[in-house]
Amino acid sequence: MSAIGTLSLKHLNKSYPVKGQPLSVLEDISLDIQPGEFISIVGSSGCGKSTLLRLLIGLEDQFDGEILLDGQPVKGPSLERGIVFQDHRLFPWLTVEQNVALALENSPLSEADKRDTIAQHIELVSLTGFEKAYPHQLSGGMSQRVAIARGLVNRPRILLLDEPFGALDALTRAHLQVELQRIWQAEGITTVLVTHDVDEAVFLGDRVVVMQPRPGRIKRIVPVPLPHPRVRGDVRLAALRDDILADFSDAPRETLIEQPAPLPQRFEDFVLAW
Amino acid sequence: MTSIPRSVSALRLPPVLAGYLTALSRGLLALLLPLGLLLLWQLIAEQQWISPQLLPPPTQVLDSLLELYSSGELASNLGISLARVLWGFAAGSAAGLLLGVAMGLSPRVEAYLLPTFKAISLVPVIGWVPLFILFVGIEESLKVLVIAKAVMVPVAINAMKGIRNVPVGFFEVARLYRFSLWRTVRKVVLPAALPSLANGLRLGLSNAWMALVAVELLASSEGIGYLMVYGRQLFQLDLVMATMVVIGVVGLVLDQGLQLLERHLLTWRNSAY
Repeated sequence: MSAIGTLSLKHLNKSYPVKGQPLSVLEDISLDIQPGEFISIVGSSGCGKSTLLRLLIGLEDQFDGEILLDGQPVKGPSLERGIVFQDHRLFPWLTVEQNVALALENSPLSEADKRDTIAQHIELVSLTGFEKAYPHQLSGGMSQRVAIARGLVNRPRILLLDEPFGALDALTRAHLQVELQRIWQAEGITTVLVTHDVDEAVFLGDRVVVMQPRPGRIKRIVPVPLPHPRVRGDVRLAALRDDILADFSDAPRETLIEQPAPLPQRFEDFVLAW
Repeated sequence: MTSIPRSVSALRLPPVLAGYLTALSRGLLALLLPLGLLLLWQLIAEQQWISPQLLPPPTQVLDSLLELYSSGELASNLGISLARVLWGFAAGSAAGLLLGVAMGLSPRVEAYLLPTFKAISLVPVIGWVPLFILFVGIEESLKVLVIAKAVMVPVAINAMKGIRNVPVGFFEVARLYRFSLWRTVRKVVLPAALPSLANGLRLGLSNAWMALVAVELLASSEGIGYLMVYGRQLFQLDLVMATMVVIGVVGLVLDQGLQLLERHLLTWRNSAY
C-alpha cells in the first residue's frame, strides 16, 4: 500500500535576511525518509525544526537544495502533503464535519465519495457522533483530532505534524500519542513529527533526528529499533531517551532573543489584479 | 454557620425561573431612571415651576402622540423616514462593504484610499449637507446621499479592520488546500470577519437614523424630523417632544433588532473568541 511516500532532502539550506545580513536557520540538511516510516525531529526551540516543516509543506519556497517527494521536487502546497499545526487552526464558524470537508474543496472526488471519506476519517480519529459540533464545544485534544482528520482526509502521501500536542495537558498528550500511533499504523503513511518532547519523539519515531540550533543542523540520527505498537514503560525506550537527552545536557546559552524569523506575508502571496 | 447555607438552598428557585427573575430585575433597574425623570417632569409641570408653554406635561405629550397616531400622520411620516433610511442604508453599506473589503484585502488599495477616506469621514455629515444640496438639490436624493455617507464610514472601517484581524494561520490553511483568491475571500475572509462586519452594519444603522433626523430638520417637507421642525415653528413643544419619543424608540428598536439578528446568525462566535 505504501510504496509511495519517499521523501528525500538534499543539502537543504535556508536563511532569512536579518538587518540586511542573511541569517542561516537551516544548514546542510540531508535526510532520506522511507515510505511508511515515522520520523521524529527533536530539538530545542530555535533549531529550525518548524522552518524545516514549513519548507516540506510548501509554505515557504525560498531555499537552496532539493526536497523530493517520490522523485518530484516539492513546490508550493499540495494536497499530496497533509499537515497538522500546534494551534489546530480549525475555523470556528464551521462544524467538525465542515472543517474536515474544507480540505476536500479542491479534491476531484464526487460529493458522495467526499461524504464517505469524511465520515471514515472522523471515525478514524474516534470522533463519530461529534460531526455537528463546533470547535468551541471541543476540548483541545478533540480539536487536534479533527485537525489530524483534516490533514489525512485527502489521503496524502506524507503527513507532517508540527508539535501537534505541544499545547495539550500531559494526560491528553499521552493519550493522543497512543492514538497517533494507532492512526499511523492503520494508514501506513509516511509521517514526520516535529517536537521538543524527547519522550514523544522516541515513543513514536522509527528514527529520531536530533537537531542543533544556530544554525539549525542535524546532530545525529538515532534509530529506534522497536516494533510498533510500543509500550510506554519500555526500558529500551527510556534508555534511548536518556541517551538523546544527554545531547541537550549543556545549559542553554543565555542570549537575548534574536530577531524572530519574519512571518510570511499574507495577501501579497496571492497575485492580485488590482 | 452551617445552618445558613441550608436555609439559602431551601429558598433556591428552579434555575429557569431564577434566570427570568435576574433578567426581569435588570430590566427594572434600567427603567428606574427614566421613570424617576418622568415623575420629576410631571411634578415640575404640575407645580408650574416652568411654564407649560416651554415644558408641556407628560400627559399632554402622550395626548399629542396618540393624536399623531390616530390621524395617520405618524404612520405616513414615519414610513417616509424609514424608506429613506432603508435606501440610504442599502447604498451606504454596499459602498462601505466594497471599499472596506478592498482596503482590507489589499494594502495597495489601502495606501491609495485610506488617507482620503479618513479625511472625508472626519467632516461630519452635517458639514456635507450644503455641498450636497448644491449638487443634488433638496429632494429625496439628498437624504439618501447624506444617510449613505453616514453609513459608509463605520461599515468600511469595520470591514477593513475585521479582515486585517483574520489570523495569518487561516490564510495558510487556505493556501494549503489551494483555495483560489475568490474562494479564500468567500470561505475564509468573510466568515472570519463577519462579527466585525456585523458591528459595522449596526453602527451604520444607528448613524443612519441620526443622520436622517439631522437632514430632515435641515431640509425636508415630510418625515419624522420635519414633524419636529413643524412643531417648533408652531411652538407646539408637546409635538416636538412626542416626535423625540418616537425617534428614540424607533432608533432603539432598529438597533436591538439588528443585534438580535446578529446573535441569531453568529451563534458560533458566542464562545469562539
